[in-house]
Amino acid sequence: MVRKKFSKKEIFTGIACTLFALLILSLYVWHQTESVSLGYDSAELEYRVTQLEKEVEKLETIKSSLLTLDRVENIARDKLKLSEPKEEQIVYEHIEKER
Amino acid sequence: MKSYHQKKTKKRTYFLAFFFILWLGVLVLRLVQLQVIDHVKLKAEAIQQNQNRKKIEPKRGSIFDRNMTILARSVPRYSVFFHPLENESHSEQWSRAKKIGRTLRLSSSKLSTIRAQINKDAKFIWLARKIEEQKATQVANMNINGVYLMEENKRFYPQGKRAAHVLGRVDIDEIGVSGIEYKYNTILQGVEGEGLILRDAKRRRYSFEILKPPVDGKDLVLTLDETIQYIAEKELKNAVLESRAEWGTVIISEPSTGDILAMTNYPTYDLNHLPDPPTKLDRNKAVHHTYDPGSTFKIITLSAALENKSVGFEETFDCTQGYVVYAGNTFWDHERLGILAFPEVFIHSSNVGTIFIGQRVGEENLFRTIKQFGFGQRTGIDLPAEEKGLLNPLEKWTKISVASHSIGYEISITPIQMLQALNVIANQGLIVPPRTVKKIHDSEMKALSPMPYKRAISEETAANVRNILLGVVASGTGITGRIPGYSIYGKTGTAQKYDRKAKQYLTTAHIASFAGVVENDRPLFSMIVVIDDPKGHYYGSQVAAPVFREIAKKILRYLCVPPAKKPFDTLIASKTRRKSSE
Repeated sequence: MVRKKFSKKEIFTGIACTLFALLILSLYVWHQTESVSLGYDSAELEYRVTQLEKEVEKLETIKSSLLTLDRVENIARDKLKLSEPKEEQIVYEHIEKER
Repeated sequence: MKSYHQKKTKKRTYFLAFFFILWLGVLVLRLVQLQVIDHVKLKAEAIQQNQNRKKIEPKRGSIFDRNMTILARSVPRYSVFFHPLENESHSEQWSRAKKIGRTLRLSSSKLSTIRAQINKDAKFIWLARKIEEQKATQVANMNINGVYLMEENKRFYPQGKRAAHVLGRVDIDEIGVSGIEYKYNTILQGVEGEGLILRDAKRRRYSFEILKPPVDGKDLVLTLDETIQYIAEKELKNAVLESRAEWGTVIISEPSTGDILAMTNYPTYDLNHLPDPPTKLDRNKAVHHTYDPGSTFKIITLSAALENKSVGFEETFDCTQGYVVYAGNTFWDHERLGILAFPEVFIHSSNVGTIFIGQRVGEENLFRTIKQFGFGQRTGIDLPAEEKGLLNPLEKWTKISVASHSIGYEISITPIQMLQALNVIANQGLIVPPRTVKKIHDSEMKALSPMPYKRAISEETAANVRNILLGVVASGTGITGRIPGYSIYGKTGTAQKYDRKAKQYLTTAHIASFAGVVENDRPLFSMIVVIDDPKGHYYGSQVAAPVFREIAKKILRYLCVPPAKKPFDTLIASKTRRKSSE
């Protein structure tokens, strides 16, 4: 059996082609892995955005329930010891000026 | 030698080729099995393994007052459900469910329902719906197989009791069952969507594709003003408790637009903690309850008399006896009022004088005017189950019907109908239908245009009625509704309650009411106060008009309307100040 001898040039070309093919393959695999990884990140971020939006709405709602007028009035009367002004204590400043 | 090697090589090549072909054949057959024979089954398995279709719940629209204060909003909450494991006995399932039941402190009746569902081999069992966040965390930490958490939305009313009857409520699945929540359910609830979740071998989600986007419900902006609503609720509650009445209702509107600024009933309930059963206090008396209005209805008789020119302004009526016998029935005044000029009949709310005037107006004219004011038909307010009241057709009127109708008996109306009638006077004779929703809020704010206006009476009649009603508050029965420095007109009413079983009017139970308008350069707001069966004092002037005054005073302060310095020049006042009772 006689084996064909390859020239250096041919060996170099072969190695280069193999390396190139490996590079392309690696790039492809890297691209796929990155895509999936970005998919994970994107899904997680989308979920987080939704959760934060919900959190904002929840906080707005809590704020609204803390500012209910009966609660504010109770705090004003009981804690701050405020009372309703008498008629003569009210000054309609802007309207008086306009008139 | 060469041929031996060649032969050997050839043999090996064939051998190898045979194995490769065989291997290829096996591969092809396997491929055929996977791709053709088992295709459907395997595809379904693959989809189940790495894809999930998920329903995307739309977010129910929020409800705001006219100043964009949140009145109702859906907030995320977790629900716990139970899924039996494969080959698991009922007792094993029950012991798992019981653990969660203890953590969630489920009632014994709920636990027995769950047990019954397990015994029926149910594959999906709700353990608890829409639980607190803290409890959801506890359940998640327990990490029990087959027990899952699902995110849902729960309707939350940040203001609690505020405008409970107007807003209404939703059921556990967020479907409106009363009030605005029911009336505008299709707009508020939105349309469900569908999404596709792709998962990897470890069941981690790496992609979410929306197949059908959900359409969120639209927000509603109401005509209500939270502050005015608060003032009305507070004062009504005080009045009902003080007078030991059965219930009360207050409606406040902006006459020129028909916008309802406040609508409240007492007793009421907290929308976040419903009474049991929830339907107990559901009825919105302002639009559902019908009653005989009594003297507030004299506004219609007065309008009919002026519109048809049946009575002259300077005419007088003899009310010295304090009663009148009409078709065999006796009608009484609350006191002997003497000889009264036409405006004074209304200023002092004389039943006798009004019946004389009603006679002069005549059946047909009176009936027509009542119809023109919108009685006997729904106002069209955008709230569910509005009552239209009872107005007998002219053919069914008896001999005393003119007298009864003139003073607000033999007719049933709702508080909202009476307020709409009063608004006719404020709107120079035009009927402006009331409404509670101002705008539908989506990508673009869509303002709802008010319903078309109709003319009920002439401008001149409306102006004259207004002037007489100014006298009612300035020096008549409505004096307890007066606020110095402000132009207010209105009419008191005290009606005996009608017992439907006994088919007669009760002398011991009354409905006290006051309907009035506060104006500046233009009508600012109109209000009706109705108090059912007050104990002790029961006249409209004693029970309802003071509530009107207190609410109006606070609203004027809130709207920054200062008192006028000059007296009003259009006032028609009674010559003699009488003791006001009715």
